[in-house]
Amino acid sequence: MEIRWIPKYTALERTLHWVHTICFLPLALTGYILFAPWLQALAQGEAGELVRIVHRVTAIFFGLVPIIYTILQPRRMVMNLKEFLTWGKDDWEWLKAALPYYAAGKHEAMPPQPRFNSGERLNAVVMVLGTLLFGITGLSMWFLKGIMPAGLYQIMVFIHDLTFLVTFIMFIVHFYLAVVHPLMWQSLISMRFGYVSKSYAREHHAKWYYGEERAKQMWEEQKAKGGH
Amino acid sequence: MATDVKSAALLLDLAKCTACRGCQAACKQWNDLPAEETVNWGSYQNPADLSYNTYTLIHFDEHEHEDGTLAWLFLNQRCLHCTEAACVDVCPTGALSYNEMGFVSYEEAKCNGCGYCSQFCPFGIPRLNQVSTVTGEAKSSKCTFCQDRTTNGLSPACAQACPTGAIVFGEREEMVAVGKQRVEELKSRGRSEARLYGETELGGLHQMYVLDAKASVYGLPESPKYPAGATLRNVLKPLGNVAIGAALVGSVAAFFITRRNIKMEEVE
Repeated sequence: MEIRWIPKYTALERTLHWVHTICFLPLALTGYILFAPWLQALAQGEAGELVRIVHRVTAIFFGLVPIIYTILQPRRMVMNLKEFLTWGKDDWEWLKAALPYYAAGKHEAMPPQPRFNSGERLNAVVMVLGTLLFGITGLSMWFLKGIMPAGLYQIMVFIHDLTFLVTFIMFIVHFYLAVVHPLMWQSLISMRFGYVSKSYAREHHAKWYYGEERAKQMWEEQKAKGGH
Repeated sequence: MATDVKSAALLLDLAKCTACRGCQAACKQWNDLPAEETVNWGSYQNPADLSYNTYTLIHFDEHEHEDGTLAWLFLNQRCLHCTEAACVDVCPTGALSYNEMGFVSYEEAKCNGCGYCSQFCPFGIPRLNQVSTVTGEAKSSKCTFCQDRTTNGLSPACAQACPTGAIVFGEREEMVAVGKQRVEELKSRGRSEARLYGETELGGLHQMYVLDAKASVYGLPESPKYPAGATLRNVLKPLGNVAIGAALVGSVAAFFITRRNIKMEEVE
């Protein structure tokens, strides 16, 4: 049977996703050096100054990613952002069913999903929010040291640290599901080539493939039958 | 040697200070710090503020006591060497650390210029020589307790130079006793606001003041607190490292569990 491919991402989105990734990793590692006592030697003296330069230069490109996206494809940006922020009762059920699915391949309890499933949207929301917080706190720490009140500066440092922690753990989960997990190879393919197969879209993003109402209807029928 | 090291402290008796600024000069000389070019800004206080090259500074403040008498107050401003020092806790390089004598030691070669110490110090003491805001190139500095002298059995340069006995160096317990006695003396002479500053503050300071007026009159916090931002970071750091470790271990474990449970041959 011929495989039908359905477009999911634009070329710009895929490019920016990978620019974001290759910025996020060195940023996380150079930042973590200031956070981990066992890496202290790398933070000292000239090594520490080099670490800071790498962090700051990379941060500029990291910050440019959402700006370039907004300028070049504002409609796609708004559309995606709206989808990221759309949450419902199904998402809670999806998250509950996610563990048995990802660990044991039990797909029956997974409610139908739009173009981004709950996990993808959670990751996106955390990253969008995280990028905003990194930007605000990072620029303050960079340019306003000694200018803003010390108490406020301390809060900036703390939020920067906290944002790192949350986004980095999110990244580990994202990396595991997108790259390592044996069932998810199509999501990686889609971020490389921009397409997912018809069968994958049907199974994982039914609301996107069939439309919201049809997908819900099918979901109810399937539940009434008790499984596949 | 290490076992019989006693906790050391400096007692800065501000009521005895005549603002000769011998301590400032001695500090510069011993620590090899260059003089700064300054302008007359209407006060004998010179330079106007602490800097990367000025570890100690006499502040000049005019004050009216409760009884209506005028006073010219002198504050010897410098690092107070907290026992619970936020700067040590936030320093990512270990450039700031506790010496076994109790003071906060500083090793400039390790400093990367992040400036956290300057932002988390409850007294706002450490100063950065920011070479560039863009690259962030900088070094921090503060009073080192003359660590090269005090760890070799000498008193700090400022204490050695002080002609009035306003700067006394010794065992901390003894300095507390001397300070308390001085406060009693001052009180018996009608200085009701006299106070020993630093006996218990921030775990006990290793530079204590005998104050001749309210702390706030000198521009000091009445009851200095360990900054909340540093407390939050102290909690977040170990917690964060555990969380990152758990996420990594969890992912690897999840991979093997998944591999065992899912037969790829059976997946459509």
